[in-house]
Amino acid sequence: MITETAVAERITVIDPAGATSACAVSLRRVTKSYGERTAVRELNLDIASGEFFSLLGPSGCGKTTTLRMVGGFVDPSYGEVSLHGKDVTDLPPNRRDVNTVFQSYALFDHLSVWENVAFGLRRRRVGKTEMTRRVGEMLELVQLTGRDKDKPSALSGGQRQRVALARALVNRPSVLLLDEPLAALDLKLRKAMQVELKRIQREVGITFVFVTHDQDEALTMSDRIAVMSEGKVHQCGTPEDIYERPATRFVAEFIGTANLMSGSYTGTGIELPGGVPLYTGRLDGCSIGDEVAIAVRPEKMWLSDLTPEMVQTDGILKATVYGGATTTYLFEIAPGVEVSVLEQNLHSARTEERWADGERVRIGWHAKHSLAPLT
Amino acid sequence: MTTLVAAERELAAPQAPPAGRRKGSGMNRKPRFAIAVTVAFFVLLYLPIFAVVLFSFNTKKSLTVFEGWSLRWYQAFFNDAELTESLQTSLVVAAAAMVGSVVIGVLLAFGLVRARSRLGGAANVIMLIPLITPEIVTGVASLMLFKGVGLQPSLTTLMLAQTTFSISYVTVILRARVAELNPEVEQAAMDLGATRFQALRLVTLPVMWPAIMSAAILIFTIVFDDFVLAFFTSGVDPQPLSVRIYSAIRFGIQPSINAVGTLMLVGSLVLIAIALLIPRLFGRRGNSFDLFGG
Amino acid sequence: MTHPESLPPRPARKERLWTWMLVPGTAWMSVFFVSALLLLIALSFGTTDALGNPRFGGTLDNVIGVFTPTYLRVIIRSLMYAVAASVICLVIAYPVAYAIARHGGRYKNALVALLVVPFFANYLVRMYGWQTLLSDESMLMTWLRHLGVSANFHILDTGAAVIGGLVYGYVVFMILPIYASLERMDGALIEAGRDLYGSSLRTFFTVTVPASRAGAYAGLALVFLPAMGDFISSQLLGGPDNLMVGNLIQEKFFAGQNWPLGAALTMALMVLLLICMFAYLRQTARDAKEARR
Repeated sequence: MITETAVAERITVIDPAGATSACAVSLRRVTKSYGERTAVRELNLDIASGEFFSLLGPSGCGKTTTLRMVGGFVDPSYGEVSLHGKDVTDLPPNRRDVNTVFQSYALFDHLSVWENVAFGLRRRRVGKTEMTRRVGEMLELVQLTGRDKDKPSALSGGQRQRVALARALVNRPSVLLLDEPLAALDLKLRKAMQVELKRIQREVGITFVFVTHDQDEALTMSDRIAVMSEGKVHQCGTPEDIYERPATRFVAEFIGTANLMSGSYTGTGIELPGGVPLYTGRLDGCSIGDEVAIAVRPEKMWLSDLTPEMVQTDGILKATVYGGATTTYLFEIAPGVEVSVLEQNLHSARTEERWADGERVRIGWHAKHSLAPLT
Repeated sequence: MTTLVAAERELAAPQAPPAGRRKGSGMNRKPRFAIAVTVAFFVLLYLPIFAVVLFSFNTKKSLTVFEGWSLRWYQAFFNDAELTESLQTSLVVAAAAMVGSVVIGVLLAFGLVRARSRLGGAANVIMLIPLITPEIVTGVASLMLFKGVGLQPSLTTLMLAQTTFSISYVTVILRARVAELNPEVEQAAMDLGATRFQALRLVTLPVMWPAIMSAAILIFTIVFDDFVLAFFTSGVDPQPLSVRIYSAIRFGIQPSINAVGTLMLVGSLVLIAIALLIPRLFGRRGNSFDLFGG
Repeated sequence: MTHPESLPPRPARKERLWTWMLVPGTAWMSVFFVSALLLLIALSFGTTDALGNPRFGGTLDNVIGVFTPTYLRVIIRSLMYAVAASVICLVIAYPVAYAIARHGGRYKNALVALLVVPFFANYLVRMYGWQTLLSDESMLMTWLRHLGVSANFHILDTGAAVIGGLVYGYVVFMILPIYASLERMDGALIEAGRDLYGSSLRTFFTVTVPASRAGAYAGLALVFLPAMGDFISSQLLGGPDNLMVGNLIQEKFFAGQNWPLGAALTMALMVLLLICMFAYLRQTARDAKEARR
């Protein structure tokens, strides 16, 4: 049984050359255009050494293109890519101290698992004894020790993924790029691999740049996340920053669910459609008559134990959705304005429905949980 | 790590097979007409071949009455210096065309799939035209060319012409294979420190190798058997085998032809069998008939 | 949104390697094939000198010569033979491909192999085999005469024999693409058709044929084009009344020594085929557009 400490002892923590430079990866005004279409627009990013950094966004937002520019597979149309302070924009992939785990794993089918993992070491002409030692270490780390003579075709999806990871890590790059590596795995395996990857990253201390479209994945694994859309970074911060304090409307809507309420600013609140007033209190930077929007996360809304300082409104129950550990209630608080409220099923079970459809219920939330004003 | 291993074990456990929907079920009625036609077709397809093979063992010279078993026509073939020389010639030409067309074809296949320049479009057209040109046109045109530069038809002109035609075949076959390659595999090799050339050599070519071998053997067989192009571009001496057979058929019955034909058939069969088995031997999963546009 | 104007683009690290790979092949084909074709076209306008050597010139005699009744008759005959052969191939190919594709089961691949093997026996030798089998002294003919068929009945030296030879030589090229199409076809379509139309025959024509027409078109191209240029079938199985364009061309180059005329005839063949190719491409493009709608 390999214990975590035993593994940690055997693997040297990475201390990349030039670690005095705080940033493992720096992107300055990096742009990529394909003819008429701009995939990435003047991106600026700093990724710190030893961070687990995620690029998160919907398909086509430019996250994979950005990753490939860091890896050297795509040439930026403009801008600079630096690794540990050194400009690598013009360097081909084989001359950058970066390794990649590809989405399709890209294993060498004609070579054995051992040869796959040793490939990078061979290119560097690492001596035989050291090669054997390092490959053995890696295979242990990813729990594939007995399979070194097998060909990739004999392995399952999860095992191939681990070979891809070992093949990249064995070279001790200062930065590891991962392009949606867990996308092809099914749910249970994916969850297990997420835990594994996080553990390995912490032990080995390498900077991970992780691309994903799955926000749960990003939120659970990352130290910091860059939320991207249409080639630009909307927000870059810790998972909590992103979730609790979204900087833009896109981030608020993309990450988790958000109840969006918009109308014209009245000075003391917002007038929702149908003349329904929402007393949110003063909103900074807004003038009376402006169109403003606020958002509140469903789990931040209360249906009982409301206190006077909460923002309150009435809602008509439209539906109750039972979700095992939680229940979601859908209310209409103004003509055409629906909000969902998420509650943990601490006390109730399905059979005990608290309200009937059509009943009027009081909803409240703390003003500090209003995400506003949103652009 | 236990959660991970446990999850994987669960997935590997055999699932209960879905209750039987046989492949192609619901079409159990056999179409008698189609099957009858097919059987008749196969019979007619092989009839002349059986005739040739059978009569190659005929004791008598006659081609219409089978009298007995004999190997005399095979002996006659091997004793005939001209015929064996022709055999050698055909083999040499096929080998030369194979090597030349495969080398150029591999490059062309990669270029066509991956180059992003206008040359790609032109190259594609130039490469495809021979495939739709009847061989007689290619033959005549090639003859024009050689005569035009003052070359008499000879072994060299034959090899050049055959290589030209073969390039089209090889490129079309290999192009499909190159397009199938996962570009990320080459990128992974470079990511791990290989230069572009090393990546191609260590990672791409080994994967391509079965297809290249198959294409090579296929083209060897095609060139060896080819007649029309050889007819127009080969010289009087030495003559490739197919041209010699043609002369023999045109200008008099020579039962050795049956022996030659049988030998060529067997030889081609062996080569084709090898070509088809190569993908299986190299462990590539999938239909080994992918070559034939399946 | 285009590349932001405010930013000067970087000089691209272009991947020239692949373009370079195109050079050997393109150069070779340009030299040995394209220029050959061009020379052929040029010679069509040439003449023959007193010694019978071809000379390049600027005369239209040969091109006009193509349009004399004798030659035109041959060209039209070639067309007819090629069309007949193509149609017959189609009629044979569908049942065979259908039987193998949808009822071959485990033996599908073996059957396809069996289909293709004769192709790799020498074409000449196979034709020679037929010549033997169908000649007046053969066992088959003797047997037929026993059955009472008149002594004047010949199989060889007829147009039918030539067409038969063409079919035999090229039918495999019709079967393979149709087989590929049928194999890929969703069996559920045929079942649905049976449900709707009842009879198998109607289902075949309304469902199966249209669905596999891409394969049929490919097969037609692969049969018709080479058949037009064939001269072996005619030479070995046909008589003097069954000459095709290919025979004419061959004669002009080897027996008659009139190279410019031969070149002109070859050109005529090429032009004819190009016209057919155009029609074929237009039809497939139209089909593809409809499929996309």
